[in-house]
Amino acid sequence: MKPAFDPVQLAIPFFVIAIVLEVLLARFGKARANYEPRDAATSLMMGLGSTIAGLLTGGVVFAASLWIYEHRLFTIPMTAIWAWVVLFFAEDLTYYWFHRLSHERRFWWASHVNHHSSTHYNLTTALRQTWTGGVAGTWLLWLPLSFLGFPPAMVAIQKGISLVYQFWIHTEAVRRMPAWFEAVFNTPSHHRVHHARNPRYLDANYAGILIIWDRMFGTFIPEDDAEPCRYGIVRNLPTFNLFTNVFHEWIGIAKDLAGSRSPREAVGYLFGPPGWSPDGTRETSHTLKAKWRAREVLRETIQESAPADSHP
Amino acid sequence: MNNALLIQLLGSALAVALLVGLSAWARIARPSPPLDEPRARALLAEEFPDHRVEAVWIAGDGAAVVARAGDLALVLWRKGDGYVARSAAWRDVVATSPADGRVRLAAVDGAPRLWLGERAWPPLEAAA
Repeated sequence: MKPAFDPVQLAIPFFVIAIVLEVLLARFGKARANYEPRDAATSLMMGLGSTIAGLLTGGVVFAASLWIYEHRLFTIPMTAIWAWVVLFFAEDLTYYWFHRLSHERRFWWASHVNHHSSTHYNLTTALRQTWTGGVAGTWLLWLPLSFLGFPPAMVAIQKGISLVYQFWIHTEAVRRMPAWFEAVFNTPSHHRVHHARNPRYLDANYAGILIIWDRMFGTFIPEDDAEPCRYGIVRNLPTFNLFTNVFHEWIGIAKDLAGSRSPREAVGYLFGPPGWSPDGTRETSHTLKAKWRAREVLRETIQESAPADSHP
Repeated sequence: MNNALLIQLLGSALAVALLVGLSAWARIARPSPPLDEPRARALLAEEFPDHRVEAVWIAGDGAAVVARAGDLALVLWRKGDGYVARSAAWRDVVATSPADGRVRLAAVDGAPRLWLGERAWPPLEAAA
């Protein structure tokens, strides 16, 4: 069930036109973009499948939101401008924590990973949306907004606006926005870092519309032109198969749970960070970053000692 | 399923097909020429920065690499215009037998098929 005004539905023609433009501009050398047709097909089919999956769980989500709203603390008018301003910030903050949870805990990563499994970063990547988010229950995080008193339709519209905003930042065609814009808003540059698999860039820039949350909570990493982003996931998938892309992490969880030897292990496999293992032999973002830092320290030490050694 | 939804889904599927066709026509994938040893080593350094590569074997079509790093085989193979990286036990990888000019590395997650061409298998120079 969706509100009568659905920003995402309204924006679909814009999405199509923007992708066509990005492809044509890249084809004629006017903008930077790489498209691999099978990768683009997977991304677009994921977007289509996500719409269908959303129809299956949307009713439950909206019913839960309505039930919570019936037990709300306050009544916030949908027609008040101040209410939209407050909701803009509150929804964006909710999105930040949803997104951070979706990267830092494996159960929710399993439903979000398919947004990151492309090794490309173009406008089709934006449409590479989850099929299993409804089942993973991340929508629960938005219920407190309805409990506060924001009408569920209002919350759904603001969520849609955020999703539409995030479409245009999935591009390499835009290098940097003006400094004031980069300071406040999520931009193509900030979000390229978020999609990068270089160890230094892992688990950063979770913002939806405003990058201020990352700056506040210590997860902001700026794009360094000296280290171009390499896109995808730490262990890139060996196939373009749509269903492998959608379900591979869930299958991985199921296998690990089947092989777990204690409740502690089971909880770790489910809710630990992606890459967690009981013996620590697998790599998490934390261990990958620690290894990268150690390499950087070694490299700097060698660089610093080299000139000294060359002088008597 | 009501008619409006059906039309919307069919329209979306058509748009997907057209956009994929456009991206194929544009030919704007990343260039990925056959690998030579310097490029293979550069890719290995990116994917396996903590391993010291001892020797490199490149598939006959330049689309895959098997490198030895101690007891490990570091394997890269082309997927689209990029590469997939995995590691496996060296002894398991070199124990694989070729068939029809190819070798399928079942010991490696993803089981890549490598084209041998004129290259010998197992990679004796890498094993040395």
